[in-house]
Amino acid sequence: MMMLLTLLCMSFLTFAVSAVCLRKALSENDARPEIKSGRPIALDPPRFFAGDLAAPPEATRIPIAVLKSEIERHVRVEQAAAESYLDVPTREKLHTRYVN
Amino acid sequence: MPKPQTELFRGLTEAEAGALSALGTETRVAAGETLFRLGDEADRMFFVLRGRITLTLPMMIRGSEEDVLVEERAAGETLGWSGLIPPHRFTLNATAAVDSTLLVFPRAALLRHFAVHPDIAYTVVRNVGSVIGHRLQVFQTMWIREMQRSVEARYP
Repeated sequence: MMMLLTLLCMSFLTFAVSAVCLRKALSENDARPEIKSGRPIALDPPRFFAGDLAAPPEATRIPIAVLKSEIERHVRVEQAAAESYLDVPTREKLHTRYVN
Repeated sequence: MPKPQTELFRGLTEAEAGALSALGTETRVAAGETLFRLGDEADRMFFVLRGRITLTLPMMIRGSEEDVLVEERAAGETLGWSGLIPPHRFTLNATAAVDSTLLVFPRAALLRHFAVHPDIAYTVVRNVGSVIGHRLQVFQTMWIREMQRSVEARYP
């Protein structure tokens, strides 16, 4: 009798827990927008241009004037590289690296 | 007077170049003086006779807006082609890097001259077109080089 009661209690408990879980799962499904495609949704924001590249820690200590001067030097070098490429355009020259 | 082989006057005879340059007003600008700012109405074009003009764009560097050098224009070169090309708004800031002398051409005077001399208009507009075309190619090349680096940094 005792065993029967224990089994009955455990069955009821399992049923109750399952019911709560099912209800929770159903309510979550209702709240989600319907996914029409089988493809996963891309959650990342569009930030192709290296938006997630963190600045090196030492960059925060460099004065703005120095950073600006570095950027301008980079622009000059890249412009010269572009001009040189346009003089004689080849696939190799397009992505040639220069000491910058 | 600008030489006929320079950027804006290429293909014109001495007389045509002379007549065209007579439409401009010789103007001196001191080092640091601003010629125009991004967004200003572009109602004039400039030809650099002497000196150097820097063209800059604003850029945020660690929360501070800085004018960053994009290009420089020296003697014999033209700037401010937005004066001839709609929507007639300057798209860069222009500042004299050193004491400079420019020929300033009001758009209205150029258009009046072009209406009477369509052959000169054709040559000048073709010259402006080749200046714009070359700069487009330079910036296209610079853009793809930067893009290549971004791709390599993101997907090493």
